[in-house]
Parts: sequence; structure tokens; C-alpha cells
Amino acid sequence: MKTIQRFAYPIFFAVMAILPHVLDSRWQAVAITFLIFAVVALSQDIILGKCGMFNMGQALFFGLGAYTTAILNNQYGWSIIATIPLAILIPAVCGVLLAGPIVHLRGDYLLVTTIGFNIVFVQVVQNNLGGITGGPNGIFGLDSLSFYGIDLTSQVSVYYFAFAVLLLTLGIMRNLAGSKAGRAMHYLREDQLAAESIGINTRIYKIFAFALGAGIAGLAGTVFAVQYSAVSPEAFDFIQSVLFFSIVIVGGSSVPGVLIGVFVMFVLPEIFREFATWRFFIFGFAMIAAMILRPRGIIPATFGKIPKFLIKENNHGA
Amino acid sequence: MDIFLQQLANGLTIGSMFALVALGYTMVYGVMRLINFAHGDMVAASAFVGLTIYTHVTGQATSLAAVVAIFLLSAVVMAVLGVVLERVAYRPLREAPRLSAVVSALGASLVIQNGIMLIWGPRMRIFPELVPQVYWDFGGVVISLIQVIILVLSLVLMIALYLFVEKTRIGAAIRASSIDQDAARLMGINVNSIIALIFIIGSSLGAVGGLFIGLYYRGITFNMGWQYGLYAFVAAIIGGIGNIPGAMLGGMLLGLFNAFIAGYVSSTWADAFTFILLIVILIIRPTGILGERVAEKV
Repeated sequence: MKTIQRFAYPIFFAVMAILPHVLDSRWQAVAITFLIFAVVALSQDIILGKCGMFNMGQALFFGLGAYTTAILNNQYGWSIIATIPLAILIPAVCGVLLAGPIVHLRGDYLLVTTIGFNIVFVQVVQNNLGGITGGPNGIFGLDSLSFYGIDLTSQVSVYYFAFAVLLLTLGIMRNLAGSKAGRAMHYLREDQLAAESIGINTRIYKIFAFALGAGIAGLAGTVFAVQYSAVSPEAFDFIQSVLFFSIVIVGGSSVPGVLIGVFVMFVLPEIFREFATWRFFIFGFAMIAAMILRPRGIIPATFGKIPKFLIKENNHGA
Repeated sequence: MDIFLQQLANGLTIGSMFALVALGYTMVYGVMRLINFAHGDMVAASAFVGLTIYTHVTGQATSLAAVVAIFLLSAVVMAVLGVVLERVAYRPLREAPRLSAVVSALGASLVIQNGIMLIWGPRMRIFPELVPQVYWDFGGVVISLIQVIILVLSLVLMIALYLFVEKTRIGAAIRASSIDQDAARLMGINVNSIIALIFIIGSSLGAVGGLFIGLYYRGITFNMGWQYGLYAFVAAIIGGIGNIPGAMLGGMLLGLFNAFIAGYVSSTWADAFTFILLIVILIIRPTGILGERVAEKV
């Protein structure tokens, strides 16, 4: 088991690095989708899994990033690369502004409020507020990726762009786990009162988690806009948020768990296309079964080097 | 003024449907501290069950006895389903981390929603016209017989529930279980039966709500549970979740709010305004209008 763990990441990265060269274009597209949703799920994990805040509106930040890229590119003629800073910044700032007044809410209330944000966002976009979101059809016909005049139109280059974003996200999460902020968030998740009493400013770290998660999701939104060369409201519906939420919890809020969750939720349906109408029926049962059999997730996250006997059971997030 | 009175009538009708559904959420939350995400889909399922009972059991009759039979049978079917749901998806997770139960509820919701789609198909179905189309015109304000029936029947059910919970021994057991499950168990209350009872009551009230939705809006779709469920849940939170009169009040308030938004602004903004209202209420009064402030347990 130890050896598997040691080699799992290098093997995963190596496979992912050569993957686009062995797949045909349809499966390349599936692989890109996997990478994009993996990044969004990991960004959700920062807020929900690492910080323990019941956020069920991650598709909002994902959509904000995608729409920022789409609007700046389509309406104002910015190149895709140039939109990236704003596609990260705008969702992050929105994360701070939206989370600010609500982070003190208790679990379930926070959950419903974030659902609310997501629904308001989709409705605003659908009703074409300000005339820049393209209404229910969304925005289509975006430019392809280019970097200082080098044209990166091919799907393989989009794949590597998405892969780079995933690597960046994994790097951020790795650093976060070892940082002061990561420890603070972990204590906060385990026991908010205890965290406060040892001097952690829980409010600041909660808002920080929202900003970080939102920014990463926004970047994933840019990749999404590039890949589909279009954005539309239903891609960022609250149902998507529900899926990301479930992936993080079923996965156990660990990186391998979340990646497996994304694979099952978004790649398996492509393999078993003939069961498309049964997809969510089966997923529903799978979610119930997974939670009953492994209440802490398929691969529960571990934190630091805390001995097992010190970890309280049944104290995950709530 | 006409618009105001008309939307007042419409709002009370929608509000009583929200309130009926919200009761299911609030009762389950009160005892189990769990958002029963599958409740909205149970409501949707009951409309479809009612449709099938109408075509296959009561032989498309619209007599009073047949309509009553449709309501009773649907309520029984949904009550059984509610108990099964609790046994399969929630009971094994009662001691598990909170979020596991939430995900299990979401899974159950997906199962029911897509079960409806697999059985009755993905397209919109038209609910039968069980109540004759009678309208009264009060100087420009039109009120239909359906609206009156929905309002009166909902009020009767809600008052009955209130009296049941406040005045009977079993009601006292329900209240005790929602205050402290362990203490209730020590007092000799069988909490498992109370939870089953709550699912029976909540699901049958939701079934009535679902049939009302079918009667009032006529078009029923497999995924409408999310829509109405979410509204009803918001109503429960606005009123103070876990609080039974709160759910009734929240439902009515939300119904009126929605009707006035539709009348004075535009129905395309109804969702956004509803959730902005919710967010504002939660920021001002985090436990809802009638909710009591509970100290966080350490």
C-alpha cells in the first residue's frame, strides 16, 4: 500500500502528460472536461473540505470566471490570455464580497444562502442584465488560445493549458496544507470554538478560503470558455454545484478521492453512453451507498502527522 | 388596486402550497437536523402518482368521491415511500458526519427525480382537471374555485397538524424529540417511531401539496421537485426552520412575495428576488422570523 501511495502521483502525472497523444479528438475533449471539473472540484474542496464551510454554490464562481473571459474576449476584444488575471480576480473579489456577510451563518443556513447566490447568478445571466451576458443562449464564438502571436488552436494545446491549471491547483493545495492558513483552516473545520479560543481569526480564514476557492474556480472557468468556445447559463446551474459538493464529500475531501469522484461523475457517463438516461438514477444510489458504507468518504483526507488514536471519530465538518 | 388584490389572492394560494411542502422540511429538520433534499422530489412524485391513480384506478372519474380517493391514495403511497426513504437513506447515517447525510439526501433526490423520469417519461404531462373551472369575478379580481379549495384545505390541514403537535401526547413526543433526542429516549419515547411518523406526516402533506401544484399549474414535469422544493425550503428557513407555525408563516409570506414580484416586477426575476429576500432575512435574523436562537453546543 505504501509503495502504491508513493508512486501514485508520478504515475498519474506521467499518464496525464502523455494522454492527449494516445487519444482521438473525442476522448481528448473528455479528458479536458475531466481536468476542468477536477480543478473546480478541488477549489470546492478548499472551501468545503478543508475549511468545512457548507458551500453549495461553487458553479457561481466557475461561471463568473467563464463569463469574465467570454465577455472580455467577445465584447471587448481582449485576447484570452489577457483575460486570465481578471477571470481570477473578479470571482475572488466576489467570493470575498458574498462570503463576508454570511460566513458566520451556521452550516445549513450557509448552504442555502450559497445555493441562493448561485440561483441569483444564473437568473441574472439568463435575463441578460446590462446586455452583455447573451441571455439564455449565452455567448459563443470565442477566440482560440494564443500566446504572443503563437497560435494554440489545437485541442492538444488546450489540454496542456488545462493540465497546467490542474498542476497549479494541486501545487496551491499542497502548499496550503503545510502553511499557517492551512492549519488554521483545519482547526477551524474540526472545531470552530476551539480554533477561536486559541487565537485564530476564523472570520478572516473563512473569507480567505472563499476567495482562494473562487479564484481557482474562476481560472477553471477560463479553461472551460476556451474549450467550448462558448458559455451558457445552464453550464453553471445550481445542479452543477450539487455535483461538485457531492464529489468532494463522497471523495472524502482528499485529492485522490476528489479525482476519482470527478472521473466517475463526468468520464464514466461518456464511456457508458447507452445508459445516459439512467445516469443520475444510478449516481443517486451510488451516493447513498457510498455514504452508508464509508461515511467519511471513499478516501478520507488526513491532515499532518496526527496519530490515529487522537483523531475524534464522527467529527467531520459538522 | 386590482393588481394588488388579484396578486393577494394568487399569493395566498401559492403560499399555502409552499407552506404544506415546507412543513415536511421543517418537521424533518426539527428532529433530525437534516435538510431532506428528497422532499421536493417526493412532492413532484405525488403529482405523477395522482395522475396514474386518476387514469388507472379511479377510471378518470371527477366525482367528489373519486377526487377524495385520489388524494387519500396518493398520500398513502407517498407516506409509505417516505418511510422507505428514511429507512434506506437516512437511518444508517444518523450517527455519521452531518455532510454524509446531506449527500445521501441529495442522492435520494436524484434517485426519485430520475425514477419519475424513467417511469413517466421526460416530457411535461398534463394533470387532469379534477375540479370544475368555476370563477368568481369581484370587480376585476378573479378568484377560482381551485384557489378557494387549496387555501381552505391547506388551512384545515395546517390547523389540524398544529393541534396534533401541540395538544396530543404523540405531539408532545414529537416536540420532545426535536428538543433533545437522547433525553427523549430516556423519557421512554421511541425516537425511531417518532421519526417514521414525521416522515409519514411530512410526506402525506407534501403529497397533498404536489396534487395542489398539479391542479393549479396543470403542467407537471419530473424535475419540478427542485423548483418547488427549494421554494418551500426557503419558506421553512424564513419562518425559522424546525418551527411548525414558522413554516406556515414563511410559506404564506413567500407566496405573497412571489405573487407581488410577478405582478409588479416580472416573473423572470422571481427566483432572484426570492433568494435575495432569503439572504437579507438570514443576515438580519439568522434563525428566521419565528426561530429561536440556539446556542451552539460544545
